[in-house]
Amino acid sequence: MTAIDYATAPFPVRDDLAAAHARAWERLARPGRWWSGEERIAIAREVRHAAGCRYCRQAAQALSPFALEGRHDTVSPLPAPALEAIHRLRHHASRLHEGWYRGLLADGLSEGGYVELIGVLATVLAVDEFHRALGLPPAALPQPRPGQPSRLRPRGARQDIAWVPTLAPEDVGEDDPDLYAGLGGVNIHRALSLVPEEVMGFFDIDTAQYLPDAALRDFGREYRSLSHAQIELLAARVSALNQCVY
Amino acid sequence: MLLRASGEHDGKPHNLQRIVEDAAGSNTVPQTAPLLAYADAFVSGDAALLAARREELHAAVGAAALVDAAGIVAIFTAVVRIADGTGIPLEDFKIEASVELRAELGIDSYGAAASSSPESPERR
Repeated sequence: MTAIDYATAPFPVRDDLAAAHARAWERLARPGRWWSGEERIAIAREVRHAAGCRYCRQAAQALSPFALEGRHDTVSPLPAPALEAIHRLRHHASRLHEGWYRGLLADGLSEGGYVELIGVLATVLAVDEFHRALGLPPAALPQPRPGQPSRLRPRGARQDIAWVPTLAPEDVGEDDPDLYAGLGGVNIHRALSLVPEEVMGFFDIDTAQYLPDAALRDFGREYRSLSHAQIELLAARVSALNQCVY
Repeated sequence: MLLRASGEHDGKPHNLQRIVEDAAGSNTVPQTAPLLAYADAFVSGDAALLAARREELHAAVGAAALVDAAGIVAIFTAVVRIADGTGIPLEDFKIEASVELRAELGIDSYGAAASSSPESPERR
């Protein structure tokens, strides 16, 4: 296992943040519900490689990113719809639409596989972009753990509020992990809930890099070296620059 | 919406136009300029510019706050992929509460607004 170590970083990284990143890397290497550990690391590697994809860069600038002829510059032996998903999510997520997602399913990507892929991509981006923001080189990816994906779909998952099926807090069953522990169960928490471990894993990082859910509106106390207002200013700016309405 | 709420709590309404443009006017959030310059450089992908803005922010707020800022810009880069990639909508009550804000900031014109429900920069 390759660990993330901030001991030599030029800026002091909080222990809880470093620990969250270490857990993220450990989780990244384990088999998930729809991808093996080896495949999850392949997704992570493709997420990194996609940053330099010439076709994606041109598509991102096009009037319609789907109208441009060309091929992704890929590095991983993943199925074609998975590669397509990784590259477009990496480069122009705000311009994706449900028809594109349905096309991935028609091409053989499973609903669970797509959701888990987004979870892996988001995990890698959260950690890699933190490194880039501080001028640190990317951490080495962990060695994949052996084992097969469980292919377990939560029984209560339903197609309702999003493109992808989700598991509402009221539909969490005895067989499901406590995926909303410490979370409000609002829509963004539900987004990855078809693969509960991705909710738990991503918001473990989110809590360390952003704020615990209970602290979001606790304006009478500051939890970080930045104030609530400064944190939300940054969050809103990055979302706006990414053309994200959420 | 949380930025607006924090200003209301402090009795200092923030200039929310600063989120989407380099607007002049009241500067109620401390260190607004170096924070936004850092965020802009981060999203631009220009490594040299980011290094310069990082040093400026470091000088303005210190190492611990810089690390916090890095965590924020990084996590929201990931969160937008989750929101946009799953087509998850904003809750109805947040849509209703942010109608004027979205119109004021031009957020309804974003690409994702056309393929999902109208949403604001707040996510919880």
